[in-house]
Amino acid sequence: MTRVLEGTSHDTATSDGTMATRTDEAEAPDSLFSYRELLRLDEALTMSSRETGLRFTLYIGDLGQQTRARAEELFERSGHDLPESVLLAISPGQRVVEVVTGAAAARRLPDRACALAVLSMTNAFASGDLVGGIVNGLRQLSDQAGHPRGLRTH
Amino acid sequence: MRAGATAGRLRGVTVVETILVYAVAPLALVAVLALLTLVPGRPKRLRYKPGQPWEHEPVWYEPHPVGGGGHGPAGVPGDGTTALGSSMYPEQHGPGAPGQSGAYGEGDSHGATSVRALAAGPSAAAAARPFGGARGTW
Repeated sequence: MTRVLEGTSHDTATSDGTMATRTDEAEAPDSLFSYRELLRLDEALTMSSRETGLRFTLYIGDLGQQTRARAEELFERSGHDLPESVLLAISPGQRVVEVVTGAAAARRLPDRACALAVLSMTNAFASGDLVGGIVNGLRQLSDQAGHPRGLRTH
Repeated sequence: MRAGATAGRLRGVTVVETILVYAVAPLALVAVLALLTLVPGRPKRLRYKPGQPWEHEPVWYEPHPVGGGGHGPAGVPGDGTTALGSSMYPEQHGPGAPGQSGAYGEGDSHGATSVRALAAGPSAAAAARPFGGARGTW
């Protein structure tokens, strides 16, 4: 993934060497979280997306030097329905959280609401709880976005 | 004395027996319980705490598609996107599958994929601008 993402970098200020391709690491990407934690993340992502009709995606990894530009660049590649998408980009090594919302999603999730969710997430992260912070942040974001009237779920 | 003791006759308790019953046995019990509680409690692998240096592959999770079953749009190989499947459906079969960590380093298929993504990127992204959001550090 890193290689593909690097290939489309539009950010000239980002140095190329920031994200090394780790070919020596043969572990599955799931080795970071236990299955229980993965289930929690999975459920939080899926339920908040179904509740709100927005499309929440979660990126965990390095964001390079310019974290905001990098997060927006990732967001542009996150799927087909960009205006209704929300990207939660977390770089635990740099201690940075970025939330990127598309234009339509930003009407339901104003920047202040995002900042509040980010604040609760960073609180949890500071106490060492990565998964719990993400789950609570997603819950807060989806609560704020609400449930559109015409949306049919399940 | 012990050699002469037979069943049915009372005999005195030696000092050694007293120590065994009142000192060694409780100590042994405590030691066994301590081992039972301490040994399995040791963490098998060190938990990652946010803020430690990040030495993992980046991961990207997406929600399940509403219809259920199958892969989400972002997970389709060759679609030009690289979001991982969600944890329930992590497998992307086929060449250049984005969900498999071993496949990232190789190949011309990725080059073609990224070129297509470049071509498709700006038009789709322009509709989504201006972006909103927030930023936080800890």
